[in-house]
Amino acid sequence: MEFKVALGPQHPALHEPISIRMTLDGEVIRDADLKLGYNHRGIEKLAESRSYIQNLYLTERICGICSFSHQTCYTQGVEKLMELVPAKRGLYIRTLVCELERVHSHLLWLGVAGQEAGFESFFMYTWRDREVVMDILDWISGNRVHYSMNTFGGVRRDIDELQKKKILDSLGLLRQRTDYYLNLAASEPTFVGRLAGVGKLSREKAIALCAVGPTLRASGVPMDVRKDDPYAVYDEIPFEVSTADSCDVLGRAVVRVKELIQSYNIIEFLLKNLPAGPVKVKAPRKVKENEVYSRYEAPRGENVHYIKSNGSDKPERLKVRAPTLANYPATIEMLKSGFIADIPLIFAAIDPCICCAERLVQLDNARSGESNILTFSQLRAMANERDKKINFKKKEIAWPF
Amino acid sequence: MNPETIVEKISSDIKDKVQEVSLAAPRRVQVKVAREHLNVVLAYLKKQFGYVHLGTISGVDLGDHFEVIYHMSDAVATVNVRILTPRSDPRIPSVCAVIPGAILYERELQDMFGLVVENIPDPRPLLLADDWPAGEYPLRKDWVFDRPAEVIPGGK
Repeated sequence: MEFKVALGPQHPALHEPISIRMTLDGEVIRDADLKLGYNHRGIEKLAESRSYIQNLYLTERICGICSFSHQTCYTQGVEKLMELVPAKRGLYIRTLVCELERVHSHLLWLGVAGQEAGFESFFMYTWRDREVVMDILDWISGNRVHYSMNTFGGVRRDIDELQKKKILDSLGLLRQRTDYYLNLAASEPTFVGRLAGVGKLSREKAIALCAVGPTLRASGVPMDVRKDDPYAVYDEIPFEVSTADSCDVLGRAVVRVKELIQSYNIIEFLLKNLPAGPVKVKAPRKVKENEVYSRYEAPRGENVHYIKSNGSDKPERLKVRAPTLANYPATIEMLKSGFIADIPLIFAAIDPCICCAERLVQLDNARSGESNILTFSQLRAMANERDKKINFKKKEIAWPF
Repeated sequence: MNPETIVEKISSDIKDKVQEVSLAAPRRVQVKVAREHLNVVLAYLKKQFGYVHLGTISGVDLGDHFEVIYHMSDAVATVNVRILTPRSDPRIPSVCAVIPGAILYERELQDMFGLVVENIPDPRPLLLADDWPAGEYPLRKDWVFDRPAEVIPGGK
């Protein structure tokens, strides 16, 4: 006997609106189908009517967690269109913010994974430590979420010796805590028992379904844009691509903790080798007719912007593909033959960012406008109208009490 | 293997299938093909160089034509395979047989540009609302959004 069950779009287990329709055989999921489109804002269409500088701040607002990923991906694409060579110090600071963002995003994910696995204190610990990174970001950029650090040709703010010292001091604390988490995640039997074997995604399937980021790397594929197609100053930085072979949620957790440790090394390298000089160069306002395909390794995986320019100060086309969208086909594969109780865990394991993945169209019924909005008195009038049409046979209904 | 060898191999092995091949930027190979040869070229890239990762499919409205670009990436270079399809007959072949991960991007193209993807395994709308009017494709250049005047419920 098979049942069809709908989960979402609004559900306490999901943090953002998405609808999953499942075919169940008892407790086991046989098939799953995703329905997207509950979080649309029309950013791609909007970007065509804004200038390049305005789009800098629009692309930042595609996501609330990996805001810097989208902005950097867009910025370096436009820099290539402008044939602009950014200032070296600016690129170092940009890479620094990239890695700080990765640290805060992975710590956030670890907490969410702990919470979904029923390990609430882990959630409290990692989110407490995430505040350390958030404070650093706040201190060097002035903002906790949308850093607005990028501009064409470099970054908008410089960092001084005191800030450098504070970041290096905080790194010691973070390293110590991350080692503890790695130890905890690997040796705590209940936590390992909950994550191991859940959400299996074989290497072949992961490649065929074009998965990206930690989801792909946990299936044993060492694909990382920072190594494959180095942007900013990643070609000068020594680091390793973290992978795992277990193909399950535990593997995805291990990959992210390993990446945290790599990120700390990268941040330390950047601060110790920070070159002197200006943080930005002057950028032209108009852009020649050309096109660029910009790739960026966001905390969730490969982020892609395709930008086509037409010679004016506005882009002809901006196409955004966020990592979560690329991971959806793989998520359906992971859900199949899993249990209902594993859904939040499997779904959290791709680190979904639904507002990133859906950014395309206008709001529902935006064209019909006011007809959607009813005042209370209109509603009452409608209800009265409806009541009049219904033929109540009052005498035939006997009230039992 | 480097991007230059990819360009050379493509232009010698399947020169009757591709219309243009060049190295447009560092690590970016541009290939232009006719839409009926798309699957052959993608299968060749997969077999010859191991191109299996489709970054995304970008659609561009060029007026009388739509340009559709398939971004294939690996550790060496990104190969951008582009096809043109006329506005009067906006059909493109599905590439899901070669790259199963392309399904969501193809459904997105159908929604946003009104392209007809032939042999697509799952043709349902992906992103647009259930009551979206038929024949309206938001990312076409001639589709303009006129924001209705804001009405405050209960206001004057």
